[in-house]
Amino acid sequence: MQVGRLGVGVVVVAALLLAGCGGRGDALERVLEAGVLRVGMDASFPPFEYVDGEGSLTGFDVELARELASRLAEDRPVEVQFVANLPYDGLYDALTAGEVDVVISALYVDPARMADFAYSAPYFDAGQVLVARDETLAEDLAGRTLAVEFGSEGDVVARGWQRRLSGLQVLPCQTAAEALERLVAGEADAALVDHLSALAAIGAGKELTVVRAVTAEPYAVAMRRHDRGLLRAVDAALAAMAADGTLAALQQRWFGAPAGGD
Amino acid sequence: MLLAVVAALRPPPPLVVVGPPQTVQTSNPLIGVHTRLTDEVEEWKVQRTLQMVREMGAPWIVEFFPWAYIEPRPGQYDWSHADMVIEHARAQGLTVIARMGWVPDWARSPETTPTMLEADAYDDFAAFVAAFVGRYRGRVNHVVIWNEPNLSFEWGYRPVDPAAYVEMLCAVYPAAHAANPDVVVLGGALAPTLEPPGSAAGLNDLLYLEAMYEAGVASCFDALAVHAYGLGFPPQADPAPDAINFRRTELLREIMVAWGDVAKPVYVTEAGWNDHPRWARAVRPAQRVAYTVDAYEWARQEWPWCRCVAMWAFRYPAPLHNYQDYYTFVSDDFRPKAVYLAVQEYAR
Repeated sequence: MQVGRLGVGVVVVAALLLAGCGGRGDALERVLEAGVLRVGMDASFPPFEYVDGEGSLTGFDVELARELASRLAEDRPVEVQFVANLPYDGLYDALTAGEVDVVISALYVDPARMADFAYSAPYFDAGQVLVARDETLAEDLAGRTLAVEFGSEGDVVARGWQRRLSGLQVLPCQTAAEALERLVAGEADAALVDHLSALAAIGAGKELTVVRAVTAEPYAVAMRRHDRGLLRAVDAALAAMAADGTLAALQQRWFGAPAGGD
Repeated sequence: MLLAVVAALRPPPPLVVVGPPQTVQTSNPLIGVHTRLTDEVEEWKVQRTLQMVREMGAPWIVEFFPWAYIEPRPGQYDWSHADMVIEHARAQGLTVIARMGWVPDWARSPETTPTMLEADAYDDFAAFVAAFVGRYRGRVNHVVIWNEPNLSFEWGYRPVDPAAYVEMLCAVYPAAHAANPDVVVLGGALAPTLEPPGSAAGLNDLLYLEAMYEAGVASCFDALAVHAYGLGFPPQADPAPDAINFRRTELLREIMVAWGDVAKPVYVTEAGWNDHPRWARAVRPAQRVAYTVDAYEWARQEWPWCRCVAMWAFRYPAPLHNYQDYYTFVSDDFRPKAVYLAVQEYAR
């Protein structure tokens, strides 16, 4: 952890110098000066961000934001100020209007937005993953049965596979959880479900393994495109959190199991 | 040279023929959907979308025509996309309700969002609406002025201001009617919310509508646009001031009646249920199907003052990769969802 934090400190100093050279205000300067990182989110999406039964804001992204803020500067505390009642439609506008410094809200990396906004390195991939009881069962799906959530992206992918894999049977289920239950019960050889559902099942003790990622749905921290210093600092903090196990611990706590360790 | 060869070898775009006029066959003339064709580039996809709306049995669409897209520079209009959408909608026999808003760079201060309309730009906006209404006179006779002005982020991230919204509406109204005396100017389009006075996020829609009337809105609109999301409740759930559900529409209607606006109709320009597996305000897919059909039927039987119920949203041009994708009736690649098939069956 010490090594990671030192790395962040170096990157923050470099980022500030670069921001200063550019002659354009960088949100990082304001954040460090005020000691406050303003985080926008739509708090309606468990387990990433939601209001719990006691009225408290909680979730993976909430803790991620606090951890990120704590790593932005070595020599001064940075607190998080959540702007959590934003509707999803208003998240990017909140950045444009300067209402928030970053958006951390299970936000998909959208290439169409990159002219105006920058994204950190992804901190989670919510895409579809292939799950099996035993990796060897999913090596060749020809002639096997694949459980999917009806109508999901996994369902669409599976129907495409069905056209080129001889004898592949697609087993549609009402939910991803049901697809995984039927995999455990031996009614299917593999399941194609979203990553979060797979982690939840593994975390609940089901003897399953993620064989490989099939589609990508990366979630990242978003900020205004010209806030290059802030982007570097956030990326460095995320890298440090990955290196020292903090990110995996958060995933274990909120998703049931760490991504990559599944 | 190489580029010229590549360009020459590129296949031509699909030929799109508007085709003969069609008629919507439906058992419920109130059925509508909010389409999202604003960012749909390919004409065949616009056509296919609107065909599927007709085939579902929906005579109404609500579509957004952003001011910033059509008038990127003062007085210079690019109607090409709007023309295309409206031509195809009419060919499919659909009635278009045009949503107006989205301020171009030249009409607002730097570092503001396209939802920022300052008072000194009201006349510019009114001129744009008049240009739109005049151009499409006889083809588009309904316009919604602004979207959810009771939310701060839809009001330029400023504190919401019913009186300012009314002032804007009263600037637009005579200009629109001068351009097309038959136009129906829809005001409101308020977001259903319980935000109390003083909230930074917005203001309760019931309070906001009251304040609109207090500011003299009655003479500046022809009908009320309502957003009637059901969240986790069935459409029959009783309305209450502290509840957000489909029949909250009736509370807005009561305010209209109390202010003597009995004759003005209501158009539900957004509504619906979401069936994302994890979103906190979603329902299960089977519930969404039943609630959607029941809502159309409820409006038909119980709301004689309602002209249409347009559900959010028919289809997005591309997946958004978040819970919003679970509002749609059709996937981006035109696969009908269960809710589409259920409404189609109901409308037969």
